[in-house]
Amino acid sequence: MGRTYAYSISLLLLLTCNLIQVQAQDTIPIPLKIKVGMEVSGPAIYYSDKNILNAEGYISVDLDEKKSVMFAAGYLNYKYSQYNYSYLNRGSFIRIGIDFNLLKPDKSLGKYWAGIGLRYGLSRFTSQVPFYDKEDYWGTTSSSIAQKTNWGHFVEISPGFRAEIFRNFSIGWSVSLRMLLYTGTGKDLKPVYFPGFGDGTKTVNAGLSYFIVWNIPYKKINAIIKKEVPEESDDKSDTNANATKSNTGTSGSQQQGGSIRP
Amino acid sequence: MRRFIPGSLIIILSGFILFLLSCTPGSCFEETESYLKASFYTEVGTTKMLQAPDTLTLYGLNQDSIIYNKKTGVQVALFPLNASAESSIFVIIINGVTDTLEFRYSSYPHLISKECGYTFYHHLDTEPLPKYHAIKDIYTTNKTITTLNGENIRIFY
Repeated sequence: MGRTYAYSISLLLLLTCNLIQVQAQDTIPIPLKIKVGMEVSGPAIYYSDKNILNAEGYISVDLDEKKSVMFAAGYLNYKYSQYNYSYLNRGSFIRIGIDFNLLKPDKSLGKYWAGIGLRYGLSRFTSQVPFYDKEDYWGTTSSSIAQKTNWGHFVEISPGFRAEIFRNFSIGWSVSLRMLLYTGTGKDLKPVYFPGFGDGTKTVNAGLSYFIVWNIPYKKINAIIKKEVPEESDDKSDTNANATKSNTGTSGSQQQGGSIRP
Repeated sequence: MRRFIPGSLIIILSGFILFLLSCTPGSCFEETESYLKASFYTEVGTTKMLQAPDTLTLYGLNQDSIIYNKKTGVQVALFPLNASAESSIFVIIINGVTDTLEFRYSSYPHLISKECGYTFYHHLDTEPLPKYHAIKDIYTTNKTITTLNGENIRIFY
């Protein structure tokens, strides 16, 4: 009984070792991470231009080696002035969406991300035009537009890149192509600039964002590496191999059929 | 791995170059004036045909500046409405015959673009009011006056 038990254990260990060896050949361990990022170009721009303060941060959670869900939130305080008007906009925004890593697991290794993000954005902002002038045939007309709060909706495609440059610390950038869905301001008083979207006079907008990201690994998975199927160059050898396979693997009747064919 | 990192740095640097290129200021290229556009028609028997007056003079009442001064070949005249008032009166001289034309309207701001700023659009509240000296008839085709090209009124003379 004892010998049988020991034999069973040995057999189990042997099988397990074989299984691990098979897995080691086809998969790669990838750490799934919670990423906490901060957009850095906003504060950098504010350093040189005190009229635009844009602060944005995000949290992203890896679902697997390819996909992650993200949630971003930010704040904008925008002041603009030129010879014929001045404009103020202040508010906050959120973005929610999903990021797809287009790198293969053996390239990304859980450290590199080159992919595309799809997001929906919602913005709540208060805008005001303290003055605007219009000069025409009759003279100059000056007026103002009172403060008003609106909600803006937009969608975003965001291709980009991130690289882990130190342990659990990444940097990267993304290009954001945004499409305006609704601003709630009407077609005459579109927002000059609003949080999360940018130039509200345009239906489609583009922007660049630069991120520093802190990565918190929370789980390790084995991502499957798809091996490339080697191309078989010699058709004859292929045919022969198939023939050999069919001869060895097929039934007697099939073998007879094969021999009957001219 | 070591081969991969320099590639990633190149991509990040290219992002910064894109950022620098994106910081070019814009200029105002759009139309900023919203004129009331009037087409001129003559009546030959029962037929009304689009025809520019031989000469056209136009100016705002009590204004020194003349918009058109005995100008020939004006098929569409552009009337600048006063955004500070709810009506504008113009003196119009068609082929040497003087008339006045009053427009009553409401004005509202419209953002053209970030670069150009705001202009005023107008909405005609009533039919235009001529004195019917040079003008035989008048007809409104579009009450909304914007920066876009499009006829607002037809003047029959």
